[in-house]
Amino acid sequence: MAPATQFEVSQPPTDAISALVFSPDAPNRLLVSSWDKHVYLYEVVDGSEQPQAQLVNKYEHRAPVLDVCFGAPSSNEAFSGGLDRQVKRIDLSTGDQTVLSKHSDAVRCVVYSPEHSLLISASWDSTLHVHNLSSPQSSPLVIPLPGKPHAVSISPSKLVVAMTARLVHIYDLPALLASSSSSSSPPQPWQTRESSLKFLTRAVACMPNDAGYATSSIEGRVAVEWFEDTPESQARKYAFKCHRQPAPEEEGGGDIVYPVNALAFHPVYGTFASGGGDATVALWDAEAKRRMRQYQKFPEGVAALSFSADGKYLAIGVCPGFETGMEDYNGQGRAHVLIRELGETEAKGKGSK
Amino acid sequence: MGKKKRGHPDVEELLERPWCYYCERDFEDLKLLISHQKAKHFKCERCGKRLNTAGGLSVHMNQVHKESLSSVENALPNRQGLDIEIFGMEGVPEDVLQQHNQRIIQNFYTAQAERQAATGNPPRGNSGGQGPTKKIKIETPEELKKRLAEHRAKVAAQKAAAANGTPLPVTAPADGQSPSQGASPFPPPQPGFPYSATPVTPYPPGGQGYPASTYPAGASVPPGASFGSLPARPPGGAAPPGAPSALPQRPPYAYNGSAPPAGFPAGGGVPSTVDELVASAAATGGRVPGGDDIDQLIRLAEAGIKPAKTDDATAAASGGEKKKKGMRMVYDDTDVSPEEKMALLPRYRWAEETAA
Repeated sequence: MAPATQFEVSQPPTDAISALVFSPDAPNRLLVSSWDKHVYLYEVVDGSEQPQAQLVNKYEHRAPVLDVCFGAPSSNEAFSGGLDRQVKRIDLSTGDQTVLSKHSDAVRCVVYSPEHSLLISASWDSTLHVHNLSSPQSSPLVIPLPGKPHAVSISPSKLVVAMTARLVHIYDLPALLASSSSSSSPPQPWQTRESSLKFLTRAVACMPNDAGYATSSIEGRVAVEWFEDTPESQARKYAFKCHRQPAPEEEGGGDIVYPVNALAFHPVYGTFASGGGDATVALWDAEAKRRMRQYQKFPEGVAALSFSADGKYLAIGVCPGFETGMEDYNGQGRAHVLIRELGETEAKGKGSK
Repeated sequence: MGKKKRGHPDVEELLERPWCYYCERDFEDLKLLISHQKAKHFKCERCGKRLNTAGGLSVHMNQVHKESLSSVENALPNRQGLDIEIFGMEGVPEDVLQQHNQRIIQNFYTAQAERQAATGNPPRGNSGGQGPTKKIKIETPEELKKRLAEHRAKVAAQKAAAANGTPLPVTAPADGQSPSQGASPFPPPQPGFPYSATPVTPYPPGGQGYPASTYPAGASVPPGASFGSLPARPPGGAAPPGAPSALPQRPPYAYNGSAPPAGFPAGGGVPSTVDELVASAAATGGRVPGGDDIDQLIRLAEAGIKPAKTDDATAAASGGEKKKKGMRMVYDDTDVSPEEKMALLPRYRWAEETAA
């Protein structure tokens, strides 16, 4: 078994981590957005005896940043959104920031589709903005949503938006691209679904093979579903409990149930990782419906996860969760970004039996 | 995966199984246990080396990776300590051992009681390893009366048939199979009662089942409850195909019109469940109900028995699993996400007017 090591990035964000994401084309570049009003760019330096992750640059924002994503391959750009309601393009080399659009409430998520060069931002004002980046002059297409979006994920052809009241909308990206160029009425979702989870959705992640997605909720549960709308495919969907701890018997027993804050699919093996408020990360084999491994507890709850494009690294954003009931919440100095170098087969599923 | 299905081992066998101190899993033999411990609890997460003990792993981590081991991986929360040196079954503290045995014994008896409640089987050993007495159900007075009427009609038909000179091919084997039935209209001791009453009461640990006196081997088995008689049945008869297996203990002449069917009650009375069992067992290959097929029989029984009973049995069986324990959610606001609440805190709040 190849060695599996874990190391921490130098100069982590100074406050809670909202999102982290590896570059889709350069497997050693990592963006982290934080409540400390900055976006950080790190680079993993391999080759030496001890791999390291060094801060390359940081980009100041006016307000806490809620999400960040990489832009088109080799364009050296990123997009961010945050409490200041702006969707911004960041030039990663110069640090120049340009405002692409403005929502009327905080921007919760930004995702970029390299296949269709679309940037989609989801805001608590219950709208999606679809930016067609191949025609930068056009104003973004606004799609009203029936609820506040909480999590968004993108696959090569689909966009999954999870909202309050357990609503899930799935949009077809080619259709979005078509309607973003023609100024017709806002496009309808390709599918509307009700979440298979009974509680507020925390995270969504699409399978890299474009077959389906996983969602997680505040009630220690993860559901795996498939896009294809046939009874056979829908019968395959399932949900399972995770990120729970038995409560001590003197407190009445039962389980302490933690929110599952983060999900990430492995780009190569199609397995996925979940990170929860219980400060653990587990690796799951969606096909075999097995847990492959669970890592030892981290110092604080897990807020965000991302696999690098080659599946070699797993970045784990660790910070105290708001839900822990901290009086006057403050994540200052307690946020860490850990990068785990995975062994050859560490994230490889055994396949379904 | 999972345990091999091998009937239901008795409690001594269960207690003898080696088990893992760290996760309470039990194993077929000590070798398996040791390899489990090396793979699950004493494996170095850095390099995958499998050590023999937690202490060994700790030293390895120290020397090779310059790290210190704080707890044993994959262990139960109260068993993560490094202070106890465990190798296989060696080193397990006496009190933990006692606790484990207690738990095994308790689980064994609850499982046994549940099984009995679900199947109506007497415990193993009391019925000679066979399970011929499934689903004996208490008869209500109405059913008893019905059966009495049925029997009278049968006797009358028999007499009439004898008077007419009709050959009675099946009477002899039918009588031979349950002699008591030939003598009196009813199987005298109503052995169903003690069985159907007991499964509901919790099984007393240690007590090995029902008093033997209530079940004199086979003699007073209620008609139709005996599987053993099935092959002895003459295959011919005028009965329509399929019917014999559905209602096996009725003498076939009742079907061929020489006697008015004095009512095969819709519910089928006592034998129906057992008959269905026999029928379905026969359908699945006619295997003799033995220890290994017991699970299948239970499933068949659950599928075949009357709704009321099924409900009771499954409710009893699932009652154990679905123990709704109180769970506490760390975050339980189903409308507002933690981020939205965080965004309202003064230190993060964004006021539009402060923007340029």
